[in-house]
Order: sequence, then structure tokens, then C-alpha cells
Amino acid sequence: MVDLSQIDKNQKAFIKTIHAQHSLKKRLQSLGLSAGQEVQVVETSLQKNTIKIALGFSSVALRLDEAKTVEVELAS
Amino acid sequence: MKKITIALVGQPNVGKSHLANAISGSNLKIGNFAGVTVEKATAKLRTDDYAIEFIDLPGLYSLEDFSADEKVTKEFLKKGDYDLIVNVLDSTNLERNLMLTTELLELNKKIVLALNMDDEAVKEGININAQNMSKILSVPCIRVSSKTKYNIETLVDTIIDVHEKALIPSKLIYGSEVEDQLQTIARFLEEKHFTIEGLSYRQIAVGLLWQKREIYAIVHEHPLYVELQPILNNALGHVYMYCQCDEIDEVIHRQHAAFAKGLCTEVLSVSKIKAQSVTQKIDAVLIHKFLGLPIFVFLMWALFQLTFTLGQFPMDWIESGFGWLGETLGETIDNEALKSLIVDGIIAGVGSVLMFLPNIIILFLGIALLETTGYMSRAAFLLDGFFHKFGLHGKSFVPLVTGFGCSVPAYMAARTLKNKKDRLLTMFIIGFMSCGARLPVYVLFAGAFFDESIAGNVLFAIYIFGAILGLIAAKILRVTAFKGEDEPFVMEMPKYRLPSLKLLWFMVYSKSVLYLKKAGTFILLASMLIWFISSYPKNDVIEEEYGAKIEALQATQETQATDKEALTAQKDDTAQAQETAPSDDKVASAEADKEAPVADPKESAEEGTSVEDQIAALENEKHEKIMEQTYLGMAGKAVEPFFAPLGFDWKMGVATLSGLAAKEVIVSTLGVLYALGDEVSEDDASLRDIIKENISFASAMAFIVFVMVYLPCLAATAVFYKEAESLKHTVLLVLFTFATAWVLAFITYRVLLLFA
Repeated sequence: MVDLSQIDKNQKAFIKTIHAQHSLKKRLQSLGLSAGQEVQVVETSLQKNTIKIALGFSSVALRLDEAKTVEVELAS
Repeated sequence: MKKITIALVGQPNVGKSHLANAISGSNLKIGNFAGVTVEKATAKLRTDDYAIEFIDLPGLYSLEDFSADEKVTKEFLKKGDYDLIVNVLDSTNLERNLMLTTELLELNKKIVLALNMDDEAVKEGININAQNMSKILSVPCIRVSSKTKYNIETLVDTIIDVHEKALIPSKLIYGSEVEDQLQTIARFLEEKHFTIEGLSYRQIAVGLLWQKREIYAIVHEHPLYVELQPILNNALGHVYMYCQCDEIDEVIHRQHAAFAKGLCTEVLSVSKIKAQSVTQKIDAVLIHKFLGLPIFVFLMWALFQLTFTLGQFPMDWIESGFGWLGETLGETIDNEALKSLIVDGIIAGVGSVLMFLPNIIILFLGIALLETTGYMSRAAFLLDGFFHKFGLHGKSFVPLVTGFGCSVPAYMAARTLKNKKDRLLTMFIIGFMSCGARLPVYVLFAGAFFDESIAGNVLFAIYIFGAILGLIAAKILRVTAFKGEDEPFVMEMPKYRLPSLKLLWFMVYSKSVLYLKKAGTFILLASMLIWFISSYPKNDVIEEEYGAKIEALQATQETQATDKEALTAQKDDTAQAQETAPSDDKVASAEADKEAPVADPKESAEEGTSVEDQIAALENEKHEKIMEQTYLGMAGKAVEPFFAPLGFDWKMGVATLSGLAAKEVIVSTLGVLYALGDEVSEDDASLRDIIKENISFASAMAFIVFVMVYLPCLAATAVFYKEAESLKHTVLLVLFTFATAWVLAFITYRVLLLFA
């Protein structure tokens, strides 16, 4: 299983499933992270604790812990 | 005149406030939400027949209770008193914005969709067919731009139109399988004539299928529920099977997402695709791995430099202006007590606070810029890793920065944090972020004890030091009082936008007006009170005692100076007069000086000055003694033992206590106390110089540390109590801040004494 915390910067991927617990999952969904959505990691912080991802028309920042709950599939 | 109340709802950063501002001109007002303390901005607009009121609710991503902030909006939408919803959407991010819209449509209220930022969308090649969209949803959708004011009038007309007509149910359509099940349930309800006021059969069916608590609460009470249950079970089973998922929330989300996506393919067309947007390019620098943090620190430093240096000029003008005002007014008033009240009480007190208005304006402008450009969330991104180590959250940054302005809105801003413990922890730390009201104290002391060229840096250092203390305190609290799981960090990074000047002006203006109002009312009263308790009760015994001493000195001066009979007689007259009016002392001694040289120029000039010095010293001592006998002096003496280990004299102790009312009062109290204590008020000595003369460096630094840490004002504490909903934590806050302030000030004072 590949999750969002593992993909390289600027690598494109598609979201498969979100494994987060209920309220976090809802939050991720309302920020635009839903199955099938194309995502891309665009920036990482110094110690790679926090990443910024781009999806559709918006970008979202999340911690690595949260990124681990998002299962993705690399775009070929 | 009929009134329309409108709830302005939308996701964060879609330009709701800006739109309200564009609609209403400059009539936007920020006030407290009735009942709950969240800032509610109301804009009023008058058309020919209607008075329209907009309620600018906090932005939210969905109608879930993720954060306390969003809960407020949700509660208002469900229970509040309003006529219709204006849902503001960001045209450049339509699909995601529509997710909230689908939830709003299920609320079954009159609604108008404002597709904001049309100008930006057009520039990016995004075109929305609003007419088609209105038809599909059967809800009016209007492309507007708050920036260019495009279609603003049409929006207002539509609002009135929708308000006048009866409610037209929106056409929110789900997948065919779901629709089938909804129809089955609705048909059953219709057969049994089961109604809930204000809801159609279909809406009740949606409420049941989506397992909405409020609908169940009603239906469950009804005997019909027994028959309804198997039908519902069957329907749910079908829906779960069809969606291949057995969580209703997931099903709802997919239905909504599918609807939003479908709607977008119908109405949205993108003509050109940009490789990389401007925002991504700016972010590549501003949140760069290595550059990001230094840039952030530099920006903060620049803000405090500007606050000090730029604010200095108008500050000097205001100070000399008030000095002049005090003098001129003082001359026209004959009554001594009234003159003292106005010059030493009101003008010295209020003036010393008003003086800092320029600094406050610059600081608030800086914070407003952070908020409106979108940099605030970048800062949260940059700091999250660092904050996390101290048990805080990246999002804590927003309330913490707001705390530099004022603790009251900062406590409210902490609502964006979901987890109660994170929220409380952040709220505890907010006090360490020195609020705007403390700025006058710092500016005064930094200006008094440091050279002007480095005063800005000192100011920055004070703020940074406070922030670092806050982080340490956070860590300590995290491992002791607030143990618990971390809140997830998920945050939208909005586009960078140039803020509208009008909105900036409005934000700074409304805060400045609040500051002025405070100076005109609260601080005016406080100054008068401080003046009164520092002037009364008048003590005649001391006056007489010192009058006699001074008299005696003058007598020796006279005998040394001259043997002339006539002159002695004249002095006796004056001495008699002195008993009734001791303030004539100076005049008398000055007269004596003038005449002394006649007899023996050399000797008497020497003797005369030393005697004069003694007289002046006695004068000061007299004022000290009188002050100590006043109510304030007594209070000061009572608290002196508590503050003495910190190197505070009783005046500083009293100023510290009065600061509990509002931090600005510290400065006005010092102003009043030192203006009264010093006879040389005509000497053009500013408060800054007086403080420099009267307070040692070590005491001053200990004072700054104490002010930095101890309890924010009573108003803020009251808000803390409301927000925390816990008396225990409020008491803890009071004890914690006082204890920390005392200990840190003590250390500062003792360490500085060692070096001095």
C-alpha cells in the first residue's frame, strides 16, 4: 500500500481510500480529498513534518501523520 | 420599511466579508453575536422598500461540528432568526465549494448563490453558465465580483425577489437508486398522512434516510414508527448495496460529491489551463524548505520595527499636543482641585494612552495584512513542525498572532481548534503574546531605557521573548495539565490575494475606533479614579509640618543673607501667608534669593543654592508623604511587600494592579502618579524622562517581564471563562499567570542586580 506520505515531491497520484477516523475523514473530504482525485505533493517543510499538496483548484497542508491515512495509487 | 435578515454563508476564504463590504458600502459593523460570543459582522443596506441586514457568519467547509467555530455557524443556520441564506462561492474552486452548497440546500431555506470572484475566474479562463445552473438547481445563481462590484446590484435585487416570493424547493437530485428509495419512503409517509411542519414528504424522507437526529427525534415519538422501521431498513439495505458501502456518512458524501461533480460538468467550462499558478510560484519561495522560516522571522521583525519607528513621529506630535493642551487649559482654570483633576488626571491619563494610537494602528494593519493576503496559513504551515514539539498546533498560530492585537478576539479565534485540550492550551498561551494594550508600556520603557536607534529591536526582542516563554509554558502545561492526543493538522492553503484597501481600512479603522472609545470612556474614568484616590484624603498635618520645616530653612537663609529689619518683617508676612497657602513657598524663596545678593553677593549665592536644594528636596519629600497618605498610597503600601522583592516601588505596584482593568491603564496610572508627584510639570519633562530618573534599570526590566506575563485584563479573563466554559481553568489561569510573572520578574531583577 502506498500512502500520501511516501510519494515524492511533484509525483502525481490518485487517491484510493481514506483510512482516517470519522471526523478527520469528513474534514479531508470536505477539503476536496476524495477517491479518484488527482493529488501532488508540492512543498515539504524542513524536517518533512508537514507537506503541502495540490488537488484540483486548491491546496491543502497536512502533517505526515494525517498523510499516512490517505491511500494513493501512483499515476503512470 | 420591511427588514430582511440574511445569513452570509460560505467556505473560508471565498470573500464573504469583502462581498458584504461591497454590497453595503462602508456600513459594515462588527459586533458581538447575541448569546454566543463570536464576532458577527453586520452590514446594513437600505433599498427603496427594505432594510437589509447581512450577518457575516464564520466560514465553514461543511455542516459538521469539526471546530467550535463551525458549530456556531451551523447552530445559527438551524436555529437562528434569518430570512434567507446567501451562499458565497469561490468561482475558481466551484466543485469543492458546491459540497457545502449541497448541504445548505438540504436545509430547506430560501437561498441565493453568489458565485464570487468572477473577475479572477474569467482571468483564469473559467466560465460558469449561471443561467443554466439556476435552472438545474432551481435556485438563483449570480456571478458576482466583490472586487470589481460586478453584478452587486443584481444580487441585491435577486435577494429581494426571492424574499418576496414563496419558497421554491431546490432540485437537489441524488443517484437513481437513492431517489427510488426516497420515493418509497415519501409515498408511505403520504399514505399515512404523516407530516412535520415546514417539511415536505420528500424532505422528511431525506432526513430519515440520511439518519438525521432531529428528524428521528420527532418520528421516533410517533406510533407510526413501528410500521416505518422495516421500510427504512429495507431502503437503507438497498442504498448500502448500491453504494457498496455501509456507512451512511460515506454514502451521503458520495451522493453530494457526485451531484457537485455532475453540476460542474454541466455548467463549468475551462478554456485554458495554466501550468503553474501565481500562488504556487510565490509558495515556492515563501514556504521554501530553507528560506521560509527566515523570511517569516524577517517579516515579523519588520513589522515591529515599523511599529516603533514609523509610530514615533505622530507619537511625538500627540505627546507635545497634549502637553500644550494641559498647559493652556491649566492656565484658564482657577480652582486648584479642578485644575489638578483636568491637567494631572484626565489629560495626563488619557493623553498617555492616546499617544500610542499610531503604534496600535500599524500593528493592527500588520495583522490585518497577514489575515487577508493568505500568509497566515503559510505561517501556520511553517511553524507547525516547531509548534508540535511544544505540544501546540500549527493552527494555534492564528489565535496567537491575533493575541498580539488583543486577547479577547484571540480567545475566540482559538475556536478553529477542534480538540478541547488543544484549544485550552492555546488559550493559556495567548496571554504570553503581548497584546496591543501592553505595547504602550513597552514603548514607554524601551524608549526610556534604550537608545532610540535600538528601541525597535528591543521591542521585537520583548515580543519574541514573550513568545518563547509562551512556548516553554505550553510544553510544561502539555505534559502536566493538558495531556492528551494531538489534533490532526489539516488546513487549506488559500490563494494569495491582494487585499482590498477598503476591507483593510475597515479592519484597521474599526479596531482603532474601539481603542479610542476605550480611551474616551473606560480609561477616562480609570484616570479620574486613579487621580482621585491618589489625591485624597488631603493631609493637613503633613502639609503644615513640611510648611514649618521649609519656613525654618527660609528663616536661616534670611538671617544669613541679610540683617535688614525691613526685609525680615516682609518675610514674616510671607511666612504667615505660607501657612495658609504652602504652594507659595517657592515664590517666597525665590524672592529671598533675588534680594540676598544685595548684602553679600558671594557668600549668599553659595548658601542660597544649597538652601534652595534643601527646600526642593523637602518639597519632594512632602509630595511623597502626602501621596503615601492617600487611598492609593495606602493600597500601594499594602501591596508593596508583595512587589518589593521584584524591585518595584509602590507606584509601580499600584500601576500593575490597575493594569488588571486594562493594560493601557498601567501607563495612564504611571502618568498620573508621576505628574502629581513632580512639581516640575511645567519643566517640559516627558513621562519617559521622569521614569528614567525614578526607576532603576533592573526594576524597569523586571516590570516589563511582569507586565509581559501576568493576567490579561479582566475583560479578557471574562471572555476566557466564557470560551473555556470552566471555572477551574479560569482560576488556574489567574494563578498560573501571576505565579509565573512573579517568579520571572524576580529572577530578572536579581540577575540584573548582580550585573549592575
